[in-house]
Amino acid sequence: MAIINRLNCKIGGPAGTGVMTMGALFAKCLQRAGLEVVGTNDYPSLIKGGHNTYKIRAAPEPISAIVGKYDLLLALDRLTVELHWEELVEGGAVIYDSDHVKEPSSLIGRSDIVLIGAPLTQMASAAGGEIMFNTVALGAAMGLMHLDFAILEKLLKSIWARKGSKVVDANIAAAQAGYDFVKEKNGAFRVQIEEIKGKKPKMFINGNEACVLGAVKAGCKFVAEYPMSPSTSILHLMAGHEREYGIVVKQTEDEIAAANMIAGAGAAGVRAMTATSGGGFSLMVEALGLMGIAEIPAVIFESQRAGPSTGLPTYTEQADLLFALHASQGEFPRVVVAPGDPLECYLEAINAFNIAELVQTPVIVLLDKFLSETSLTIEDVRSIPVKIERGKLMTDEQMESATGFKRYAFSEDGISPRCIFGQKNSIHVASSYEHDETGFTSEDPKMRVAMINKRARKLSAIPDYIIAPSFAGAGEDSAEILLVCWGSTKMPMLEALKLLGQQGIAARMMHIRYASPFPARAVLSALTSAMHSHGKTVIFEGNSTAQMRSLIFQKTGYYIENAYLRYDARPFKAEEIAQAARKHLGR
Amino acid sequence: MVSIEQLNSGHLPSWCPGCGDFGILIALKGAIAKLGLEPHRTVVVSGVGCGSKIPHFIKTCGFESLHGRALPPATAIHLANHELTVIAIGGDGDGCGIGLGHFMHTMRRNLDITYIIQDNEIYGLTVGQASATTKKGTITKSTPHGTPEDAINPPLIALAAGATFVARGFSGDIPHLTSLIAQGIEHRGVAFIDVFQPCVTWRKDLPYSLYQQKIYKLEEAGHDVTDWEAAVARARETERWPIGVFYKVQKPIYTDQIPFLREKPLVKADISNVSIDKFVEEFL
Repeated sequence: MAIINRLNCKIGGPAGTGVMTMGALFAKCLQRAGLEVVGTNDYPSLIKGGHNTYKIRAAPEPISAIVGKYDLLLALDRLTVELHWEELVEGGAVIYDSDHVKEPSSLIGRSDIVLIGAPLTQMASAAGGEIMFNTVALGAAMGLMHLDFAILEKLLKSIWARKGSKVVDANIAAAQAGYDFVKEKNGAFRVQIEEIKGKKPKMFINGNEACVLGAVKAGCKFVAEYPMSPSTSILHLMAGHEREYGIVVKQTEDEIAAANMIAGAGAAGVRAMTATSGGGFSLMVEALGLMGIAEIPAVIFESQRAGPSTGLPTYTEQADLLFALHASQGEFPRVVVAPGDPLECYLEAINAFNIAELVQTPVIVLLDKFLSETSLTIEDVRSIPVKIERGKLMTDEQMESATGFKRYAFSEDGISPRCIFGQKNSIHVASSYEHDETGFTSEDPKMRVAMINKRARKLSAIPDYIIAPSFAGAGEDSAEILLVCWGSTKMPMLEALKLLGQQGIAARMMHIRYASPFPARAVLSALTSAMHSHGKTVIFEGNSTAQMRSLIFQKTGYYIENAYLRYDARPFKAEEIAQAARKHLGR
Repeated sequence: MVSIEQLNSGHLPSWCPGCGDFGILIALKGAIAKLGLEPHRTVVVSGVGCGSKIPHFIKTCGFESLHGRALPPATAIHLANHELTVIAIGGDGDGCGIGLGHFMHTMRRNLDITYIIQDNEIYGLTVGQASATTKKGTITKSTPHGTPEDAINPPLIALAAGATFVARGFSGDIPHLTSLIAQGIEHRGVAFIDVFQPCVTWRKDLPYSLYQQKIYKLEEAGHDVTDWEAAVARARETERWPIGVFYKVQKPIYTDQIPFLREKPLVKADISNVSIDKFVEEFL
């Protein structure tokens, strides 16, 4: 009997053959068929050649990571067959280009695998150009699944519309050729997709895209960025929408300029951001301190990649946590938040801009390559109410009569009413030097202490409910084990909870988003409660030194004995998290 | 209309007596007063150094940024609110040493801002090291056997990078410098002004009298400010030191290329409820 609406598919090929584009298209087709989809990629740092893969999982219920073996391998080259056939389930299929891959059976050491050779290149050529062989492959995959071709046709139309009807028609013809070829020649594949109709449309979006969407919604109007993987797609997406949303997108000469520009824009009253990875963030560090001492709101998206130095540019890691928390000399308040999935990226991007203005200090949104480039199905975010809060920003009207206004006036919560350049009575100096309430340089010891204390108080203004960790899985009372994670590990962790559940294990997840301000009370309470009720806690981190464990210890005095660390520059898998949890439980 | 006196911040400058920065400060105030700029709509953006303390001594808005980084925030303040007058200012260490990259890139962008280099050919605040504009062979604390490198020529760099207004002034000729700064601010596009400025403490070998002896005024020499090659030739002179406007042409400015800024400055955009309807549809 066929498996309905559950599919794992891997697409592989050299860089430059559209593996990612096609993968994302296929994922979107599955989503439009009413399924929930995960799409994620793996690629080396080069433009042509190499080996890229895109992985898709689709299911009827919400999912957040790839789990299990693949039903289908879409091989755009011979290497893909060679490298990945072992990852196929029993009875899994390989669609390959019979024009270029000869005798694939010689590569495969199993007889259960269904080999579907299609003359992808020939069919593409007939439709208008060999370059479309990937579109033929996509059509073939749709045909195998007996997915309604109209879904793909509609998508191709909208994607290629800007290139004119000739390109649209050629792509549709190419896809149709692949679709018909496979559908006619193959009977029922083990997986069939039956369109679920009448569902409210959902979004298929990755971490970077969700950050951009959140930033745009939050009213960000100035972006200064220097390209660096894996943050670069933020620059591209912003630039592509600059006119539509009235955003000045400035590609800068370096990350130093980018960070100093957002400091300038922030001081001038415009919501401003930059995006980078660890290397670029290293160059921004001095400006971070400037924003700290001059109390300037701005948002920095830092998508971690495997370091140090150039490291592994297109691979993932969670090793910049303590760096983000401590970067720049001296002491000043900063906010560091690490969203766990694309929806949280959207929400935390909005929070970041609100918080930056609320506490007048820089906010670092810590992503990683895995999160930046993993797409999930999420609800249509337009249904989520959003509030723009600008803190103590003075209006032009208020400033009209504000004679003697002091930009850095002392206050109980440490936050001063904030004027911006150009407003009446706004004359002040925003300075990198320690200063008095007017911004004038001061080296007076009493003023120094007062200013350090003033700035330090500000973070308390961020409400607890915003920084609280989130929990999932078994309840506090019934859980047998507490699994702690932060950032993108949430995605495979949620799937691990399901796997453990299937095996009769009640596991609970604590996902920590805010590293600064740190939700010490909530975290300590969860840890001590776990200690008393079952005594089993494991922390999972994508670094070699358990940085979050150090932070938890520093902030709560609680040391989590067991850390499961992955630092091979690859993301966690749900299966390994579940296995580690089982091992810890002795089951 | 603001007077020069009204531009006093109430804080006395902390510079050495006789420092060229005093002349630059007076000229800057004079230019602002002459043009009738509103102090709260004028932002003086500096780096870090002796001269970069200037925002504290003039009653306008100010941004005293990091060493070498006056131009990026100046750029962004201008883009955030292009109705403000933005004047970036910093020393030769700031703009030609650590900040040289920003200097060149800012010149090629033709933003409508003014950039003044207080050029005394020495690092003052760090007590006397060679800077990028220190002439080859000069003995300083960091080059006791003479600087081994050729000096950078700021006007030449600005010309090479595509600046649309390039001038040089002298802190010892305040009326002339005032006029140059006013012209620079009025110029629609990026205006660069290199200012010869004696450092009476660390460059006793470069006194006012030497500048007075060497300089001559371009406007009295029949120089054509629209001739780029003539400007380059003048900027390269070493025997006599020209001051005045080297080059001045009109080109579209950076913000001319951003259509939505024609309606209103960025800072005036209503962000209370940005509609992302169309954007969301891309992901459905």
